[in-house]
Amino acid sequence: MSLYEVPSSLSLTTALFTVITLQLIFLQAALVVAWCFTDIETGPGAGVSTQPNGDRFKIEGRAIVPGIKTQDWVSTARVLVEGEEYVGFLRTDGSFAVNDVPSGSYVVEVVTPTYRFEPVRVDITTKGKMRARLVNYIKTSEVIRQPYPLQIRASGPHSYFMKRETWGWTDFLMNPMVMMMVLPLLIIVLLPKVVNTNDPEMRKEMEQSMNMLNPNPELPDVSELMTKLFSGSKGSSKAGSSSKGTRPAAKRR
Amino acid sequence: MAKLILLWLKCVVLWATVEAVFEDQVGKFDWRQQYVGKVRFSHFDTHVQSSKKVLVATERNVFAALNTRTGELFWRHVDKTGSEGNIDALLQHGQDAVLVVGNGRLLRSWEINVGGLNWEVVLDSGSFQSACLVGQQDMVKHVAVLKKTAISVHYLSNGHQKWIENLPETETVDYQAVYSDGNGEVYVLGVVPHSHITIVVYSMEDGEIIKQMSVEAPWLSNIQASCVVVGQGMLTCVDSAGVSFYMLDLHLQLQMTQVPLQSLALEVDPGFHPVLLSHQPNLARQPLSEFFLQLGPDHYQLLQLNNGQIAAMRDFKPALLVSFATTGEKTVAAVMSPKNKTACSVNLFSAETGRRLLDTTLIVNMDPNGGKPEKLYVQAFLKKDDSVGYRAMVQTEDHTLTFIQQPGRVMWTREEALSDVVTMEMVDLPLTGTQAELEGEFGKKADGLMSMVMKRLSSQLILLQAWIGHLWKLFYDARKPRSQVKNDVTIENLSRDEFNLQKMMVMVTASGKLFGIDSKTGGILWRHYLDNVPPNAAFKLMVQRTTAHFPHPPQCTLLIKDKDTGLATLHVFNPIFGKKSHVTPPALPQPILQSLMLPLMDQDYAKVLLLVDDQYKVSAFPSTKNVLQQLQEMAASIFFYLVDSSQGRLSGFRLRTDLSTEQIWEVIIPPEVQKIVSVKGKRPNEHVHSQGRVMGDRSVLYKYLNPNLLAVVTESTDLHQERSFIGILLIDGVTGRIIHEAVQRKARGPVHVVHSENWVVYEYWSTKSRRNEFSVIELYEGMELYNSTVFSSLDRPHAPQVLQQSYIFPSSISTMEATLTEKGITSRHLLIGLPSGGILSLPKMFLDPRRPEIVSEQSREENLIPYAPELLIRTEWFINYNQTVSRVRGIYTAPSGLESTCLVVAYGLDIYQTRVYPSKQFDVLKDDYDYMLISSVLFALFFATMISKRLAEVKLLNRAWR
Repeated sequence: MSLYEVPSSLSLTTALFTVITLQLIFLQAALVVAWCFTDIETGPGAGVSTQPNGDRFKIEGRAIVPGIKTQDWVSTARVLVEGEEYVGFLRTDGSFAVNDVPSGSYVVEVVTPTYRFEPVRVDITTKGKMRARLVNYIKTSEVIRQPYPLQIRASGPHSYFMKRETWGWTDFLMNPMVMMMVLPLLIIVLLPKVVNTNDPEMRKEMEQSMNMLNPNPELPDVSELMTKLFSGSKGSSKAGSSSKGTRPAAKRR
Repeated sequence: MAKLILLWLKCVVLWATVEAVFEDQVGKFDWRQQYVGKVRFSHFDTHVQSSKKVLVATERNVFAALNTRTGELFWRHVDKTGSEGNIDALLQHGQDAVLVVGNGRLLRSWEINVGGLNWEVVLDSGSFQSACLVGQQDMVKHVAVLKKTAISVHYLSNGHQKWIENLPETETVDYQAVYSDGNGEVYVLGVVPHSHITIVVYSMEDGEIIKQMSVEAPWLSNIQASCVVVGQGMLTCVDSAGVSFYMLDLHLQLQMTQVPLQSLALEVDPGFHPVLLSHQPNLARQPLSEFFLQLGPDHYQLLQLNNGQIAAMRDFKPALLVSFATTGEKTVAAVMSPKNKTACSVNLFSAETGRRLLDTTLIVNMDPNGGKPEKLYVQAFLKKDDSVGYRAMVQTEDHTLTFIQQPGRVMWTREEALSDVVTMEMVDLPLTGTQAELEGEFGKKADGLMSMVMKRLSSQLILLQAWIGHLWKLFYDARKPRSQVKNDVTIENLSRDEFNLQKMMVMVTASGKLFGIDSKTGGILWRHYLDNVPPNAAFKLMVQRTTAHFPHPPQCTLLIKDKDTGLATLHVFNPIFGKKSHVTPPALPQPILQSLMLPLMDQDYAKVLLLVDDQYKVSAFPSTKNVLQQLQEMAASIFFYLVDSSQGRLSGFRLRTDLSTEQIWEVIIPPEVQKIVSVKGKRPNEHVHSQGRVMGDRSVLYKYLNPNLLAVVTESTDLHQERSFIGILLIDGVTGRIIHEAVQRKARGPVHVVHSENWVVYEYWSTKSRRNEFSVIELYEGMELYNSTVFSSLDRPHAPQVLQQSYIFPSSISTMEATLTEKGITSRHLLIGLPSGGILSLPKMFLDPRRPEIVSEQSREENLIPYAPELLIRTEWFINYNQTVSRVRGIYTAPSGLESTCLVVAYGLDIYQTRVYPSKQFDVLKDDYDYMLISSVLFALFFATMISKRLAEVKLLNRAWR
């Protein structure tokens, strides 16, 4: 269910919108003046705009993409002041000027699909005094000065894409689950090879060490288990896992 | 605190990995089409012979360069909308293009090869009249701009003002034209209507007035409409009342000489105002002495001025359009004349002699569903044998640009009407013939066992045949190189895919042209121009019957309403083929206030459309007996609402059984204090899967899911920064009960609202902190559901719990919409169109009023993100990566057959279509699924078992021998 009366009133709001901005400007201008008084140290950037065009001023600056020729990107770039309220275009050398901006406080952004530029807040007094500062939406009155005329340097290309997870053997092997499975397997398979369990001296030694580990004779389980395990694995290693042993067996048959 | 931040960061990182485009997916599911709008001025770049550019300045404040070979954009500059970005004039010289913008406010010069700005200067105030380039000794170095009260001359190289002079006697004289022919003088022509012409001649050097003259011309009211300068500075005017030419030599300025048209054996069509057309090939020199006179809508005459005498050269009738073009030293006249009903032909004529040039015929086929040709632009060039060749760009009423080469090959077509899409719908594609055949089997009545079996067998055979055909095609295509395999979608082979991802986009444009676009490729499958659409019409597109009811064709209805009179017409058409339906829509003699689609269907499965006129009478379409009977039965449960924003009145009505209406509630919002800006209901095709949210302690918080809820946005009429506010009212549309009211102080619009499920998200401008803010309202029933089986607005005694939270958003927004999926299981995202051209997909999770300020065990259990005042814009969340969409006007979302997938179309100046997966693709294998790995692992396991089996056998055997 939608209504036809509503769109007409919407167009009315846009018409009124300009009125709002005009009214706002006066108040904001007063605010900005107050700031300028508190802010005694006027930076080198602050200077009276030379545009004697009624109450309208010009925001000037330059956008730089390090290492890229301006011709390659200026045709896709725009300067947006407070959304799309005022629009400026870039000259072939990367500089720009947004004309016809009344006094107030604005967020100025250089927008291109390829490069990222940080926005800057520009305050214009009713007399046309300009200053630029960092945008801070949370502490809106905080002033961290930026140069004016604006020098906006691209902080690199936009990153739009996520990296695909590529599959590699190292990723697979370094996976903790795999490590947990593979390491015990290695121990089970390799340890009997390293330690010759058929040697009776060795076996005695091992038994001794086992007994030392658990001196309580009440609990002989572990050593028993170990011997059982080793004898079992010995058998399997002979028959199953090592192909060296099996081939001659097959021939024999 | 540090812990908090860390946790929050973790969440952000976690979510960053969820929604993003992968680089190899570019162009796989998405496409973008860029438009410029209806062309107002156009120039072919002629300063280099091999140039492929045509410059266009359009009514949508766009200045662009198109490639004449392909029709694609070289570059495009989009200025502000509205009168401040309006392009008043386009002048081209060499590789510079000079534009006058914003009613003479700005003068801009563009470098057309790079597409960068050369310079921009602000002109003095005053409404713009005319502009021209001024040449001196075969060099063009200046541009002159004429305003209502002053003339200024600027250097072409840097825009600096050379001089500015106030015009004399501006109270009486209306200065309208400026002319220069390269002799160091600038002529300003003004008129005192029905009295005399004033001519002021300025010196190019210092702006001094050389001469000032006035000549009697009681018949003249507008110079630009009826006068041109021809030949050696001869001002030639045509007077329709006196049916004669008036000529005045600007250099001598003695008196106007009258030449009756009858003396040249010319006759003007009755009621037609004759128009003159001249041509100045080189701006530093004089215009041609040949010119065209239009005598009727399809009647032109080529004339020549020779030693102060006008001579008729050639008569063109019927001729639709004429144009001059110059290449080198040769100037030709192109004349377009109708050939037959569907084609026109363009011929070239030598401007000097009026003779037809051989082999220059070009056939232009006219689209029967398009508009009439409106403008003809000709690009002439010299061939190797020094004869003149040409290409023509034809602009038609429906804003289409067609570029045609001899003998009639269409090189490209641009549908510029699509730059202004007003509304759209996505319609499912029909089943293929074989699928429909199978479906038909189940629909029909059973007629005996044998025939049923036969039918079953035959349909199986058909399927087999289709499958073999498909295999054969696969095999055949596999042998060809990949680039040659084309899957051209035409209207004939359109069919629904497995997951219903491909749909028909029906787009309605402001010009009244309708388009059917294939959502997969972006190809235009049909177009239909409605030529009787009023210029300020409002449109509403409704799908009355979907493709699900074979053999009934799908049916869309477009309601076109004239905003001034309120009178409406209906256009009923088939959304798949674009053809007008044979169903005759009812005539609507009364202004229409409201239209609503009911879930009722007539016996042909068409949904019923109710129209409420200004007498509060209701009419139904279709209005068969069956429908009226159903309406009578249902009348007690049909409610609707009306909004009158000028009087601030919202009212609810009920339908009576005799189709009259009864007002049951009314809410007055005093229009002196605030005005209604928008009213948003929920989308009727929206599904909510879960009734509630599981809390950290395993209890359930039930959502308040009122399908009749309306979100009403108001703005204060007081626009003072301290006192302005916006209001949000949540009203039940059936009972008129105000569920919730919120006021945001020190805020103003434009307000963007999304209303869905149990939440309302809105965005506004905070005047206090000068930033954009988002606010979210969520409604909950509480821990218990009052009536879990059915929702009734009339029986809901408990008011819902309302939660609200606000956030800072670091950009203004153009439009906003929420994703939509088939069953509503997938989590929701907000799609936000930004002025920079990006479309941000913001998880609704970030806009959740239950985000806690202090993290507790329970909130962690619930996966709530701790509250942070600022929402971030991450470019990874842009669903359209670098394919920016200028001036996004609307975002349309539609569910697909896959629950995880939502189809998105963003339209504005451009059109962008893509798919989004708000909760990742959980129901299909990802497109990067590693088939190689899984199959190699499977094979490896298979062989391992084989080998180990063999080994086990050997071992057993050995043991047996032992």
